Amino acid sequence: MAKLALHGVTRSYLRRTGPRGKQPFVALGPLDLQVQEGEFIALIGPSGCGKSTVLHLLAGLDEPTTGDVQINGQPPRQLQAQHALGIAFQEHALLPWRTVDGNLRLPFEVAGLPPPQERIRELIALTGLNGFEHARPAELSGGMRQRVAIARALTLNPKLLLLDEPFGALDAVTRLRLNFELERIWLQSRPTTVMVTHSVEEAVLLADRIIVLTERPGRVRIDIVVPFSRPRSATLMRTPEFHRLADELTAGLAAV
Amino acid sequence: MTTRRFFFALLGCAGLLATWEILGRYRVLGSTFPTLTEVLRVYANGPKRSLLLRSAAATLRSATIGYGAGACAGALTAILAHLVPVLRRGLDRMAVLVNALPVIALGPVLIITAGRRNTPAALAAVPVFFLLYVSAGIGLRAASRQLGMLFTTLGASRQQRLLKLEAIAALPALLNGMKIAAGSAMIGAIVGEWFGAPGGLGVVVLNSMQNFQIPLLWATVLVIAAVTIGSYGLLDLAERAARRRIG
Repeated sequence: MAKLALHGVTRSYLRRTGPRGKQPFVALGPLDLQVQEGEFIALIGPSGCGKSTVLHLLAGLDEPTTGDVQINGQPPRQLQAQHALGIAFQEHALLPWRTVDGNLRLPFEVAGLPPPQERIRELIALTGLNGFEHARPAELSGGMRQRVAIARALTLNPKLLLLDEPFGALDAVTRLRLNFELERIWLQSRPTTVMVTHSVEEAVLLADRIIVLTERPGRVRIDIVVPFSRPRSATLMRTPEFHRLADELTAGLAAV
Repeated sequence: MTTRRFFFALLGCAGLLATWEILGRYRVLGSTFPTLTEVLRVYANGPKRSLLLRSAAATLRSATIGYGAGACAGALTAILAHLVPVLRRGLDRMAVLVNALPVIALGPVLIITAGRRNTPAALAAVPVFFLLYVSAGIGLRAASRQLGMLFTTLGASRQQRLLKLEAIAALPALLNGMKIAAGSAMIGAIVGEWFGAPGGLGVVVLNSMQNFQIPLLWATVLVIAAVTIGSYGLLDLAERAARRRIG
């Protein structure tokens, strides 16, 4: 499993200020963050605070302007090269011309491994996709597509799992059901996980630790450990402790 | 609903053909405008039919060779520009330049270099090259940003990204270009034949015009239109199938 370390990370962009002029502006940081092996982190914050940027930096899709990002002491691109990174986006990002089975094979093909049929069957069973192996993404509901995307992120038993608002486009009922499913699936292998979300409840329900970022440029405002034991249940959501933590986080989010 | 639409389409076609027959019969558009039946009678005439078939085969051969060569060259150049971004600007300009060359001006040059027999195929290839270069280039960039990011995070090589993502996502745009290019290839081949090819539909068009064989001229033009529309229709079906599957 992966151990993450962000030291003094900032990310600046050039902003157009006039017909000719461009000025740098800081979108993120400076940010310091350590994540332990096997820890599930939820990252919340107001829109535009750079949550997704943090995820992109960890995925090696973007480079910090200053500071450094390390995964087990190495740059994120190392993890890509080892095929040890799993990622799921808000939009499912499935290949529309491949079936569920074909999409789950993709990580193996890219890693140059023969796709083991039993691992794919296991993932299909784990994510409740039995009977849909040969369906194309267009034939699935939004919730099922997200399940496939999460199953695909887990295919190669990644050391690091990155979730970018994976349930953001779903209705509340489906979302809650998939939250519990994600925890169940996650408990099987417990990869280090960073999830970006807009939902405080989702963060409290799933994470071991929650980081609340400030408005742009995003910095750590709150870093709080979620004390509830796993597996968590729907009953937990009705306890005063759950609500107290959720309210505290919501207040933290709202304070500017 | 679809049968009703089909019925109206049929009715429209019948109306158009009847109008043609009437306009021809009463010489509304002058004595050089033949009736539909006069034109159709050409196809019933043995020697003329075999002339048309022979000519159509020659033109189709030139158009197909030019189409194939132009399409391969265009698509391969687009892949080159995609894989080696520094070359892209230069290749873009070269393609635009190729497209800007007037076919009429190019013809005599090709007669001297490629010969009368090969000029139709060469002139068919020119517009096809440009159309396929552009459409393949657009297609190769059609995959969504998220799918691109997915391949990066999976640690995909350049070749895997091209073969498993970009080339497949390029198919609808590529087929769209191939559909449009089919008509251009026919035009190129026919214009190429006007520069003195030994045979072909373009030659029949010129000869029948100069010899005042008006029904034959119209019959030839109808064959050209049918071939063009037919190839367009087939490639349109392929494009629709690809879009349904690849989206």
